[in-house]
Amino acid sequence: MLVAYWIVLPAILLRLAFTVVPLVQTLYLSFTNSSLMGHPRFIGLQNYVALFQDQTLLSSLTFTIVYTVASITIETILGLLIAILLMQNLQGRWISNFLMLLPWVMAPLLAATVWKIMYYEDGGILNEVLRDLGIIHEPVRWLSDATTAKFSVIVVTVWKNLSWCILIFMAGLGALPRDVYEAAEIDGANAIQKFFDITLPLLKPTTYLVLMFRGMGEIQTFEQISGLTRGGPGTATQTLALYAYQRFFQELRYGYGSAINILLLLLTVAIGGFFAWRLYRASR
Amino acid sequence: MIKPIQANRVASRTILYILLVIVLLFMAFPIYYMVITSLKTPSEAYRLPPTLWPQTLTVESYPFVIEAWSYWRTLANTILVAGTAALAATILGGISAYGFSRMEFPGKAILYGMLVATIAIPGMVTLGPIFLAYKDLPLLDTHMGLILVFAAEFIPVAFLTMFSYFKAIPKELDEASAVDGSRLIDTMFRIIFPIALPGFAVTFLLLFIAGWNDFLFAFTLTITPDTRLLTVRLFEVPVREGVNRTPYDLIAAGGVLILLPLIPILLRVQRQLVEGVLAGAVKE
Repeated sequence: MLVAYWIVLPAILLRLAFTVVPLVQTLYLSFTNSSLMGHPRFIGLQNYVALFQDQTLLSSLTFTIVYTVASITIETILGLLIAILLMQNLQGRWISNFLMLLPWVMAPLLAATVWKIMYYEDGGILNEVLRDLGIIHEPVRWLSDATTAKFSVIVVTVWKNLSWCILIFMAGLGALPRDVYEAAEIDGANAIQKFFDITLPLLKPTTYLVLMFRGMGEIQTFEQISGLTRGGPGTATQTLALYAYQRFFQELRYGYGSAINILLLLLTVAIGGFFAWRLYRASR
Repeated sequence: MIKPIQANRVASRTILYILLVIVLLFMAFPIYYMVITSLKTPSEAYRLPPTLWPQTLTVESYPFVIEAWSYWRTLANTILVAGTAALAATILGGISAYGFSRMEFPGKAILYGMLVATIAIPGMVTLGPIFLAYKDLPLLDTHMGLILVFAAEFIPVAFLTMFSYFKAIPKELDEASAVDGSRLIDTMFRIIFPIALPGFAVTFLLLFIAGWNDFLFAFTLTITPDTRLLTVRLFEVPVREGVNRTPYDLIAAGGVLILLPLIPILLRVQRQLVEGVLAGAVKE
């Protein structure tokens, strides 16, 4: 049976070496005042105490949570509806699947770049089109107004990650048992009743799966934000991951940056764990 | 005369097609606009209001970006790093998944749980210590360093995709060959892996895309232009001598140069994606 370990362990050891080992080190650093300069000293919970007096941290924590909740809600609802639409045996399936998958294949940073070209405020294409349609009169300050910028980065995230949600919902819909629907049709149920009474309850596990992975993904958002606003204007779109990166790699405050990262880890585990638990209960 | 029920059906089909067009416009317009912008002359790219179709089609922005980014060198780097890491992860993860699908050994459940649980560890949390360790090793600014990080990053996806693939291959096949007296490793490489080759291919391509698109690790762990990968180049906006405006045509051309090589891969995996390869992997 020793051979079993030789077969399964290499992949697991490589994975643990690059996740659990650095994680333990991050935890250790978070209890020190380690930085590029000077000798690191053990300072207990001081970094964590400082976290909760740091206004930038508190505002990025709030934004990260609002951003995550908004993004995964929109992604889940739109993802389900579009998946249903794409499963309706419409013409041109191949091309619609291809177009739908394009955002999925792009790097988050590339998605940010694409939208930045459109968000251009002085006569960018979005402002022009919206003005021609008579929806706006003044140019919208997509990325330079604090409130609008929050909305704008969520749009980019939803656009980028929607394809993945659609794919998972399509697989979930494809696996639903046909006979339940046939029975409901015999009982005279209409499309809306079928959706709320059959599709939604049966798709619960799929929905929690989407929420789990997108929740863990969105809470760590870094690339879209660095590509679009770099956390600005001010700190309006600052996420925890971006803030941790700035503290660790730009100010070289390894201890404090690590404490932010531990907070980020706890949030990720909490959101992943919550939906994993719901998923487990729903699929039993 | 059209029966009411048929008219009803035509009407609902029409609404579905209108919805489909709206969805596809939302998904594809940003990419269309990037491609179009990259084909404009510099003066047209700056013109207000922007044009939805270039008046003069030109590819002159491309040689400029190819030169400024050392595109071919960067492309070769990206293929080398993403390709090697995806291959390593697919093979290691596949071997491990085979072991888990066919063998019983003490600690199996714990090892499985540990591997899956590492998915919840954000890249940002591990990045700092990896960076510090790479500085000392020295693996910083090397392709080897990036390949190791990427491979470790890809292990869970490779493992879960191949695990669901192996579970779908009947165990009788293994047992039949064991009767012939061939050993486990023999069975794995000579009987099962050839059958699973399509699964390996899709997994490899999905991971290759992920490596191509990574920014966080590729940006932080490389320093010199010679080791940089493509997605990181998005941060380096090419500038024309003596022009003081954001060169949207050049940024767009850069985006196209990063997206275009992925299109053949997307076409190759599109069918499997829509049929639920991803869903099979994440549902384990």
